[in-house]
Amino acid sequence: MALRFENDFLKKLEYLHVVSKRALAGQNRADRLSPKRGRGLEFADHRPYAAGDDYRHIDWKAYQRLNRLLLRLFDEERDLSIYLLLDVSRSMAEPAKFDMARRIAAALCYVGLAHLDRLTIIPFGDDLGRESSPGRGKGRIFRVFESLEQLEAGGPTDLRAACKAFAARPRQLGLVVVISDFLEPGAAPAREPAEADRVGPAVRDAIGPQAGLKILRTIGHDVFAVHVTSERDRDPGVFGTVRFVDVETGEVREIEVTPRLAAAYVKEAGKHADALEHFCGRYDIGYVRADAERPFEDVILRAFRQGRFLA
Amino acid sequence: MTFAALTAWQAWAVLIGAAGLAAALFFIKLRPPRILIPSLSLWQRVLDASTELTLWERIRRAVSLVVTIAIAIVLALSILRPSRIGGAGASAHGRTLVVLDSSWSMSARTRGRETRWDRAIAEARRIAASSDQVAIATTADGLVQGLTDDSVLVESALARLAPSAFGDTSWPTVSGVQSVHFVTDGAVPHHLDRSVVIHSVFEPVNNVAITAFDVRSTLTGGRRGPDSQVGTAYLEIANFASKPQTVHVTMFRGKGKIADSNTNLAAGEAYRQVVPLARQGDPALHAHIEAPDNALDVDDDGYAWIARARPLSVFVVGEHTEWIRRLLTNDPDIRATFWTPGTYRDGGQDVTIFDRWAPPTLSGQPALYFAPPDDTPWLAVPGDSAKDERRPRWDFPGDHVVLRGVDPVTLRIDRARNCESASRVPIARTSRGMPIICAGESSDRRLVVVGFGPAESNIATAPAFPVLVANALEWLGRPANRDLSLRPGLTPFVGPARITRDDGESVPLTQLPASSFGVLAAPGLYTVESAGARNTIAVNATDPQRSNVARTTLGAGTNTAPPRNPLERPWWLACALAAFVLVFAEWWTWQRRLTV
Repeated sequence: MALRFENDFLKKLEYLHVVSKRALAGQNRADRLSPKRGRGLEFADHRPYAAGDDYRHIDWKAYQRLNRLLLRLFDEERDLSIYLLLDVSRSMAEPAKFDMARRIAAALCYVGLAHLDRLTIIPFGDDLGRESSPGRGKGRIFRVFESLEQLEAGGPTDLRAACKAFAARPRQLGLVVVISDFLEPGAAPAREPAEADRVGPAVRDAIGPQAGLKILRTIGHDVFAVHVTSERDRDPGVFGTVRFVDVETGEVREIEVTPRLAAAYVKEAGKHADALEHFCGRYDIGYVRADAERPFEDVILRAFRQGRFLA
Repeated sequence: MTFAALTAWQAWAVLIGAAGLAAALFFIKLRPPRILIPSLSLWQRVLDASTELTLWERIRRAVSLVVTIAIAIVLALSILRPSRIGGAGASAHGRTLVVLDSSWSMSARTRGRETRWDRAIAEARRIAASSDQVAIATTADGLVQGLTDDSVLVESALARLAPSAFGDTSWPTVSGVQSVHFVTDGAVPHHLDRSVVIHSVFEPVNNVAITAFDVRSTLTGGRRGPDSQVGTAYLEIANFASKPQTVHVTMFRGKGKIADSNTNLAAGEAYRQVVPLARQGDPALHAHIEAPDNALDVDDDGYAWIARARPLSVFVVGEHTEWIRRLLTNDPDIRATFWTPGTYRDGGQDVTIFDRWAPPTLSGQPALYFAPPDDTPWLAVPGDSAKDERRPRWDFPGDHVVLRGVDPVTLRIDRARNCESASRVPIARTSRGMPIICAGESSDRRLVVVGFGPAESNIATAPAFPVLVANALEWLGRPANRDLSLRPGLTPFVGPARITRDDGESVPLTQLPASSFGVLAAPGLYTVESAGARNTIAVNATDPQRSNVARTTLGAGTNTAPPRNPLERPWWLACALAAFVLVFAEWWTWQRRLTV
């Protein structure tokens, strides 16, 4: 499916910017405040002059009043490194779900490019895929579209391994957006809050998608989780004896789906999402749920703003 | 216990096999649809959480298995239909012949709304249930089921029997039977052996019946025309009830009603009605009666056919036919047309009279030939027989219907021709043995050949002449003999024939070389086609003895069959019903997902 946005929608995106909860130092000058002092326009502080400092920053009026050489300091405006970790495992192969994930990635890229942020798109499954950095500026959005369109879903998911691989490379601290369905084979899904508290942090953080998110958070990134779900994830939608096949592992399970069992499944899927959201809240990780059946613009312009990811 | 056509062990094997098959089918795992899902992890948690439901799941599966096996067993039972023939206590009668009285009086409705026949069938079942082997027969059909211990055969025989509305055949006999049971209402007396056990299904009921219905000729006085009277319809009705009744009588000629009246009849009173019939009109007559207390339906309708309402079409072909013209033109029942040999065209007539002339080939219609010419090709005398005889003497009339009432003594014949051939039978011979009158009959035509004519005899003025012509025209034009029993039943017909009911359906006939037999099962009008001619006969169930269902000829010591239990039904029906209910319950449970 071709990833293209209407002009009206792009205009709306230009008014938004990605919110980082923390000020992170970037590499290039841009319009986002960084913790560094430098040559920005906004005055920040004074410090005593030291040999070698730039004369042009000496505050001569303060010298006249205080008879001391003080150097004027300014907040430096830098860019933000945004890492888009896009789940391309086979569990995302459902067209509606994968398309929603790619469109979200594309929209975030456009918002970042519009504000001169540094973007890196990293597909992942059980390991990291080939990274692509479109560069800076809105005009690079078409390269983003091309790289996203070339992605194909396949292979198993292991968010923990992917995050470990991500952390293994030295990177500028920034905002890491994980776009995934957070369903992993073999590992028990996110526990509900009460149960998660009961099993303890050692067990809790060693299993499931939480482990990966926690790694990212631990190394200092600002982390944001976009939970993409589809109707099939939330509701089995069938009754009777059914042979369910796990698309990632090929494991087959024959289950007689009764109304009671289907209701239990719906409840369990809800618990899974709630537990993930609860975990993200506890670790100061942003969380947004994106239903594949929901209108895309509604997800970006409403859900992401309500989740304080875009402002 | 006996089952279908199976022995007991075979039937048990079938039952066990059915149950085993059902259980095997229950455990066969159908190939369910494959559905790809992102992850089984959620299902894993759901199934882990629902392990406490396993006990209920097991119970449900156990119940479902039991229901499935029960369905298979009751279905097998409903097909095998086991019964107690030959079982415990079955030796009460040993090998038994059950004879059912199938006269139409057995159709009488009793006060319990069942018929005597229903009661007789129930009694036959009771007798069969207490017998080792049983044979079934009726008074009308004879033996319908030989000795058997198979209840299904007995049931099917009883199910296909019905009162046949006609008379008795010879008493059925089956060798080897130890007891004979006769189930009857005693309407008609039977001379039975003392060893026959009689079971009475008699219960006095009221009935009103047509006991006679016919068309009677009247003298026309030479009047002709559509308004002249062709005869009278004679109707006789009897009230065989113990109380007075008002009887509604209607009579139809074709579709038109010619009589409609209400008549009050006292108990046991008979009523006679005569309705004049005009010559013109539909020849079919139908009488119907209605009364409030009337147990029998078969005797409520009477049928008659006005044969003379349709004149016989006769062609007379010859050069000098005045001697015949004088006879035929005075008969209102004959429409005569006269032709010369040059203008004659075959077709459309009922009978043709050839006067001293004959076509080169035999006519396709029934025909009477007077003195056919000597050179007629089909009249060649076989062998060395005499071709003619001078001044023959005909002393003795034959017994053929054509010669009935013909007085040969008044005839004076100067010369007679030999009429014999392979296809014709001599019915009158001279004193020297030469055939002078012959009759022939085949499937499509009849013919009568008279070997002399008015030129060589005094036949035109002899008293035998009108009798001979009338007999010949009747035999040729209306071949169905008038001696038929007009009651329903097995009826013989002279020669090959084809019988159709008034609704157009053919009656199956047993064809014999010289005759045929058919069962005229129900009252009504039947069309008989025989020898190229067509006639209609009326069949009526008019028998005061059978219609009087308020009395019986049975003695006081006769076994009386109890009324049939309304709840008495073959129990395999209950099995089939149970199977249906179980299947429905299982289906409904599955459909509503009333499972864990």
